[in-house]
Amino acid sequence: MTQMVADAVRQAGVNFWDTVAMLLPRILITASIVAVGWIIAWALKWAVRWILIWSRFNHFCERIGVSAVLKTADLPAPDILVSLIVFWLVWIGFLLSGVDVLGFTALEGMVRAFAQFVPRLLVAIVILVAGVVCANFAWRATLIAAVNARVPSPRVVSGAVRALVLILAGAMALDQIAVARTIVLTAFAIAFGAVMLGLAIAFGVGGGGIARRILDHWFPEHPPQEREEFRHL
Amino acid sequence: MADESLLSDDLLRQLVATGHVDILVGVPTLNNASTVVDVVRAAQGGLGNYFPRARALIFNADSGSDDGTPTLVRDATTDDTGTVIASRPLRTAHRITTPYHGLPGKGSAMRMIFAVADLLSADAVVVLDPNVTSMTPEWIPALAGPIRDGRADLVAPWYPRAATDAPLVTQLVRPLVRAAYGWTLYEPLMGECGCSRTFATHCLESPAWGTAVMPENVDVWMAAEAMAAGFRPAQSALGVRLVGPSRKRPALPDVFQQVMDAVCACLDLHESYWLTRGQAEPVPCFGTLSGAPESFGARPDVAGMADAFARDVAALHPVLETILSAATLAGVTAAAALPSAVEYDDDLWATTVFEFLLAYHRGVMSREHVMQTLLPLYLGRTAAFLMRHASSGPATLDAALESLCLAFERAKPPAAALWKKA
Repeated sequence: MTQMVADAVRQAGVNFWDTVAMLLPRILITASIVAVGWIIAWALKWAVRWILIWSRFNHFCERIGVSAVLKTADLPAPDILVSLIVFWLVWIGFLLSGVDVLGFTALEGMVRAFAQFVPRLLVAIVILVAGVVCANFAWRATLIAAVNARVPSPRVVSGAVRALVLILAGAMALDQIAVARTIVLTAFAIAFGAVMLGLAIAFGVGGGGIARRILDHWFPEHPPQEREEFRHL
Repeated sequence: MADESLLSDDLLRQLVATGHVDILVGVPTLNNASTVVDVVRAAQGGLGNYFPRARALIFNADSGSDDGTPTLVRDATTDDTGTVIASRPLRTAHRITTPYHGLPGKGSAMRMIFAVADLLSADAVVVLDPNVTSMTPEWIPALAGPIRDGRADLVAPWYPRAATDAPLVTQLVRPLVRAAYGWTLYEPLMGECGCSRTFATHCLESPAWGTAVMPENVDVWMAAEAMAAGFRPAQSALGVRLVGPSRKRPALPDVFQQVMDAVCACLDLHESYWLTRGQAEPVPCFGTLSGAPESFGARPDVAGMADAFARDVAALHPVLETILSAATLAGVTAAAALPSAVEYDDDLWATTVFEFLLAYHRGVMSREHVMQTLLPLYLGRTAAFLMRHASSGPATLDAALESLCLAFERAKPPAAALWKKA
């Protein structure tokens, strides 16, 4: 009996040391991959940041309105943000490669899935950035045109235009990375439809007079006499 | 040498038949039937009265009018107008009217006029605005005389201006062009002008044709080009300038955009010249302005402009933040705080304009957006000026406008330094 227990313990010990002997090199390899990956990612981060600073990327982002949005969202400057994204993408790639070396069945295929996810994520980021740029351009164009055309509440009108473009870009980006696709699309359709219906009802009920005046102005029954306007030239 | 591709074979035949002319009067038209006859008669009267011995041609370049303008130009005579021609002309003033092809706009017409002047070796070229209703025969010698006498290469007009008359010129374009180019030119947006053949040929050979500066912005470009290229500018006193009703007048934002685009395009083009110019030199003035300036046409709604200024500055604050410095924005916000008594002083206005130019130059946003954002501030400044000077006498008004020009001259050096760094 005692002999049996001793054999079992010895066998367990042998098995343990076999497993350790088998895993230890893999762990060391994983640790090396993660460490080297971190160094490469860090180096890439600084290289990307240096290139962006050299190419005045922040100035470009200021021009197209991305910097203002990042500032509002309390995010870092564009060059820092892009270099951080590069760092994390590269390092997570190395991290998953390292984990794959361990040979855990549950983690198998993560690298492949990550490799498939990265392009979609990049496209989603591009869509989001393009959406922010378009939203800012549309906001500014609407605001300035509304002010010069004496449209009441120009900031409300331009803000609504910006929100609409941003929501559309956000929905497209989420759809691209396939995050809760059904929920996102359904929520977007319901919210968009509700807003439009609400606006239509509000305008129809509360702004009937305004609508009539606008239509009368656009399509007058008798063309009005040209009123002489003050000339600036 | 004239680019003969600008001139059709038929036109060339007519020009060859005309031969050399001493004075070419160019009239670029587009649907000006209601006013062009009086302009042509004034030109004929001016040529007959003041240049009876000169060989002259009245040349109409039409941009495709559909209201019979070319026919009216061809048929216009002085006989039925009661225009008195003091000395009987010894030579016939030829008249040619022709359509031009290419890009629509005054620029293309002017290019054709320059080509004709070059081909016919005209000593003096006078360009008239066909929409002016107050033109008299005296405008012709005023514009052509200094050229014929060899005293100038470009003669700009000089009109008496009331406080409410053309504020876009008096409040913005005049002081800006004067400060930048360093010449005291009163009317950089020359509706009418006279120029020498040398200058016409220089304009004709300019690479600016086909660029963003042309074809709409030819007037201000000509004035700027003359100053930048070392030609001798001058200005002649004309009478009051009244314009007739045009069939479709563009809205103020469009006019403002076009004028400011023209000025900015010229500043880009002549960067190496104006950045080194110092204090403004006087441009010789010929003649004297007769009578006190009067106000014509619709009166401005000054109170409405001031109210709109307060609202617009508040609405545009996030856009203004990206264009103006903190100090200037604070000044503009304070100026707009009291709509009943807007105080937008000369120095603040000059700094505002130069900071907008820098934003335009740096491209901090779409250039169209930059200039459209300046429009409400221009209206605020105009309201402030009119509140103070709407009923001022000519001397006070002249002093106020001179003070504004000096404020622009003071604001230029720091702006020029930043422009160079940008």
